[in-house]
Amino acid sequence: MKKGLLIGLMLFLAFGVFAQQKISVWCWDPNFNVYAMKQAAAVYNKTKPNVTVEIVDMAQDIEAKITAGLQAGGAGLPDIALFQDFRIEQFFQDYPNAFVDLKAAGVDYSKLAQYKVGPMTKGTKIYGIPFDTGSTGLWLRTDYLKAAGLNPDSYLGKNLKWSDLIKFGVTVKAKTNKPLLSYQSDNFDMLRIVVQSTGGQFFKADGSLNLRSDAFKKSITLFKDLNDKGLLYSVVGWSDWINAINSDQSAGFLNAIWMVGSVKSRPENAGKYMIIPTPLIEGVSGAANASNNGGSSWYVFASSPNKALAVDFLKSVWATTTEDTLAFYNTILKGAGAMGTYIPSLKGSNYTAKDEFFYKSQAVYQDFAKWMEKVPVLKYTPNYVPMRDAVAHAVLNYFQGTLKTVDETIAAAEAEYKQVMGQ
Amino acid sequence: MAQRGRHERYLNRFGWFCVAPSMVLFCLFMLYPIVSSLYYVTRKWKGMTDTFIGLGNFVRMANDKIFQAAVGHNFLFMFIQVPVMIFLALLLAVFLNQSIRRFRGPLRLAIFLPSITSLVVVSVLFRVLLQTNGFLNNVMLDAHLITTPIGWLNDAFWTKVTIMLAMTWRWTGYNMVFFLVGLQSLDRQIFEAAEVDGASKARQFFTITVPLLVPIILFSAVTSTSGTMQLFDEPNILTWQGGPSNATMTAALYIFRQAFVVNSDFGYATSMSYVVVLISGVFAFIQLRLLGGERVKK
Repeated sequence: MKKGLLIGLMLFLAFGVFAQQKISVWCWDPNFNVYAMKQAAAVYNKTKPNVTVEIVDMAQDIEAKITAGLQAGGAGLPDIALFQDFRIEQFFQDYPNAFVDLKAAGVDYSKLAQYKVGPMTKGTKIYGIPFDTGSTGLWLRTDYLKAAGLNPDSYLGKNLKWSDLIKFGVTVKAKTNKPLLSYQSDNFDMLRIVVQSTGGQFFKADGSLNLRSDAFKKSITLFKDLNDKGLLYSVVGWSDWINAINSDQSAGFLNAIWMVGSVKSRPENAGKYMIIPTPLIEGVSGAANASNNGGSSWYVFASSPNKALAVDFLKSVWATTTEDTLAFYNTILKGAGAMGTYIPSLKGSNYTAKDEFFYKSQAVYQDFAKWMEKVPVLKYTPNYVPMRDAVAHAVLNYFQGTLKTVDETIAAAEAEYKQVMGQ
Repeated sequence: MAQRGRHERYLNRFGWFCVAPSMVLFCLFMLYPIVSSLYYVTRKWKGMTDTFIGLGNFVRMANDKIFQAAVGHNFLFMFIQVPVMIFLALLLAVFLNQSIRRFRGPLRLAIFLPSITSLVVVSVLFRVLLQTNGFLNNVMLDAHLITTPIGWLNDAFWTKVTIMLAMTWRWTGYNMVFFLVGLQSLDRQIFEAAEVDGASKARQFFTITVPLLVPIILFSAVTSTSGTMQLFDEPNILTWQGGPSNATMTAALYIFRQAFVVNSDFGYATSMSYVVVLISGVFAFIQLRLLGGERVKK
């Protein structure tokens, strides 16, 4: 009897271990990435019910934890992690063999948005599965526009120039006392969005510094002007920014589609927001009414003991066309405003649907998708983050008057970058 | 005699046996990292690459204005916040020691509580209170104490004040507990004698209490100084990565960012850590000399 039990138990354990497989995933933001991954896991479980996808919400310092794990040869790391597109090249440079080549694993990259594939490509290898787009727009509060005596309908869907917007912002500020745009001064996303709208970035294609470009100088001048006219509301940190937006501190902001979730998290915002194309910066060649900010992608660690399973999961849910996967992309768009970059999925019903949460039920996803087509292939380079910080620091000092001119500001940013990099 | 020697040897061996586990752990997790980090000081260890550069890391440090400014911020916090906090802790301890017995327990708990509360929770709370449109600014605006909101979290000057306030809030109670213990061990007769001689409370405090508590003040000062040199949590979470524009960047935060956030540059981070340890050591030594006086020489 006892022996029978023991054998039974052993069999049960052996079978259990054999049958139950687990994939662990690290990402952040429960309303967005974690939500999307949970939906993906549900789709995968339809065909592979014995696989558990364990999703960990790493709110703070995810990159620091991954760095520590990579230094320890992969100890303590999950199978899959989410990386911001602008972060990943740093990891490619510092940890060359840390990720699984997914092109070799058979992912068809011709069906994924090319501007997302750029940063994850190294030589002939491609390492990631592109997730969401960072297509940007100008978010405006129609109630404040009306209060200022402006008619929102005459701006809806219009391509504006920044000079139009400054006049417009001055009117809104004078009538409602609301600054036009709230922004996070610690990373200054807004400045990069404008520079990006000209196709430029911190670095040139060969990796050399590109801050002395026309696009940068004009963008810094533009924001100094906005700042001096009292049209900016500055906060430090993500949570304070969301708080500022959802406590009516400004008449709008300039950022990407992934703000849908945060705006929708407050029911009182219903019917108030409209989103118009990113304004055009004049006098810079290549400028367009579209830009990109952020966006992330999934990567599999080479140290993972479940590599094959993790790759299969990403490939079969995120980069394969079936009825279920298309429905999955359609669901996360509606559920979280997560617009994937898997091209066959862009025809889903929610992509063209009107969204009653926005002013006049604007079909916001259709608009963002349309603007996304104009986004050029992005170049970040491994040293994007220190440069982003240095630029944000210098521009803030320019606003506060410790730096006097645009040229001084650029020189200060370059100097800080070089110090941090030890160059 | 022989018997006793053997027994002593046995006791010795048993003693070593008892401390062996902690010694093994100490060697593994303290001694080994410290010794091996000495090796990395001379190397450029970035990500997976590792090359010898001699004193290159120190040359870089000598030219790194951000690191120098960060150490400067540590000094600033230390010279202003540590004395204020210790004085405050002493006052509170004396007050609690003399206050009505009934409230002593709850008061002591209330003052000690901040130091055992999770800093993440504290920082979230402080951020809500201190935002531009936060509680504190609103109260002060309503009371007409200020006309424009104070940038507690985004002004280069006020963020430093915020950090010092947060540190004081968090650690005063912790230090107070040591002083309280010290006070309770003092002989009441000295104070009674002083009372008879007509010494005021303030006089008693400065000429009896403070001198008698010097060893404890010394302990507090040394631990607070080294704690301030390692200041990390407040500037990382409360003022958001040492912001604005590195105005609250501290040495420890810069070391962390070099190693884990922007650079994966562990060699440089290790070298900076050595400099910070050295500085802390020098300060501890100076404090021991100044306050410890005779006690140290013996």
